[in-house]
Amino acid sequence: MSRHHNPPVDASAPTLQVEGLNVAVRGGPALLRAVSLTVQPGEVRALVGESGAGKSMIGKAVLGVLPRGIEQASGSIRLQGASLEALSPAARRQTVASVASLIPQDPLTALNPSRRIGGQITDRLVRRLGWSSRDAHARALELLDRVYIRDPARVMAAYPHELSGGMRQRVLIAAAFAPRPSLIVADEPTTALDVTVQKQILQLIRELQAETGTAVLFVTHDMGVVAKVSQTVTVLFDGKVMEDAPTAQLLAQPGHPYTRALIAATPRYTHPHEPLRPVPDELVARLRQEVARGDANTAGATRTAA
Amino acid sequence: MAEATVSGSHTQPRARARRRNLRLWLSAAWLLLLVVAAVFAPLIAPHDPLAQDLMLERLPPMGLSGAEPGFLLGTDSLGRDVLSRLIFGARIALTVALIAASAACLAGSVLGLLAGYFGGWVDRIVSRLVDVWMAFPPVLFSILLVAVLGTGLTSVILAIAIIDWTRFARVVRAETLVQSRMDYVHSARIGGASRLAILAGEVLPNVLPTIVALLALEMGVAVIVEAILSFVNLSISSDMPTWGGMIAEGRASIHFSWWVLAAPLVVLFLTVLAFSQLGEGLKARFDPLMR
Repeated sequence: MSRHHNPPVDASAPTLQVEGLNVAVRGGPALLRAVSLTVQPGEVRALVGESGAGKSMIGKAVLGVLPRGIEQASGSIRLQGASLEALSPAARRQTVASVASLIPQDPLTALNPSRRIGGQITDRLVRRLGWSSRDAHARALELLDRVYIRDPARVMAAYPHELSGGMRQRVLIAAAFAPRPSLIVADEPTTALDVTVQKQILQLIRELQAETGTAVLFVTHDMGVVAKVSQTVTVLFDGKVMEDAPTAQLLAQPGHPYTRALIAATPRYTHPHEPLRPVPDELVARLRQEVARGDANTAGATRTAA
Repeated sequence: MAEATVSGSHTQPRARARRRNLRLWLSAAWLLLLVVAAVFAPLIAPHDPLAQDLMLERLPPMGLSGAEPGFLLGTDSLGRDVLSRLIFGARIALTVALIAASAACLAGSVLGLLAGYFGGWVDRIVSRLVDVWMAFPPVLFSILLVAVLGTGLTSVILAIAIIDWTRFARVVRAETLVQSRMDYVHSARIGGASRLAILAGEVLPNVLPTIVALLALEMGVAVIVEAILSFVNLSISSDMPTWGGMIAEGRASIHFSWWVLAAPLVVLFLTVLAFSQLGEGLKARFDPLMR
């Protein structure tokens, strides 16, 4: 139907390769500490951790939308073999636009309230990827239909406030898949939705992922979601990777005490009267110390090296 | 999962919407009337606004005892027709409102957009400039400016634009700041759009309702400032009738002929009210959430 426009890439390279990524508030505390992870083509990798562990930061760093005042201090991010740090800002934007998409956390603010839905899906196809507007329009209709939106033509002409939260998230999923990306960062895509809609959205992302073979970096704090969607998991604590393993293995025999605590903390709907078991404070305190000591060690190491 | 349709229903109470519409139309009608009067003043005005006739001084408006036919709103202490002076005064008032408010709007909005969107040193410079600017009392500032620039229409317009751009800069900056942190800006960024494209294509449409409302409000303010400057005789030379000048003259003879003061006051009041109501109405019109 349409030309698929992508920059020259290394087909054998992982879709996403993050190495030794350090992200920090400018002149302030570290948010990510030497994070490394790889997402192979077609792989769904879950990124779990508590609030503030820095899981969303990884996605933002990859997509180049770190908040103001927060910077990538060191480390490398490669998208399909292309090292993003080596590119000019414009080239980096173009590469990200043609390789990666985001399914955002909050569907209520992720669509521009004063623009119609259609343009918000097709803009990128037409302006960045060189599609004709007719192709882009057809693609948007196809995707909206694919995410079970009835009367896609009407939705294309609608404003975001005319749609429900669940519909908006489906529109955003359609928008994310429309440019045929190699990587999708799903940043807690179900957190802002109610439980029944959560299930539909999750199912939808799985379906589309299976159909297209797109690699997904799935950011979540929910171990239940991890078990449902991912093949591999990276567990994050305080900006540091605690464990990295295939999902089945990690859930069956968690290797790290923090992972064990996280799994234990997951509420089980089959046992509604069980008390909640949060991650123990002692463990959190001990891990924080370890992470801080690690910082001190690396700082000491660089000092002696220099 | 299949029950997805566009909900075309309007949850807005219709009565409220209609009342808002009525205000919008009334304001627009009054302003349109003024514009027509101003443009075709020589054709519409029953008398020469400058023609004095001491035989006809202080004639009361129609309906009061002693009124002369042909002088609908009476005459002032020099025998000049009040209605004709009001009509010609609308020319000055509207010219100033339109040009001064647009100039202030353009300068202030551009600076506000840049400051709010880019932040950092751009924001710091613009914000400090606004702070310094607003430290001056506006009326004194405008009198000072006109004293420096000299009287005349251009000076008045310039003075209003120079003073009032800060209103736009402040509000537009704040609104831009809010909008540019929204996720849709991130989405556009991931989609490869450049910063300027995002500012113009994504952020501006969401700030525009605020700008339009402010612009209408500012036109009302400009009318008042022009009247103030005319009142203290710093605006246009006195051979051109202005509302502010009429109020100043009317004040002197309020005990003998109250209508000379009342007529321009009422017109000024209605005009400023109309501009502010128009601003409100337009904001509601423009805002997709209130449509």
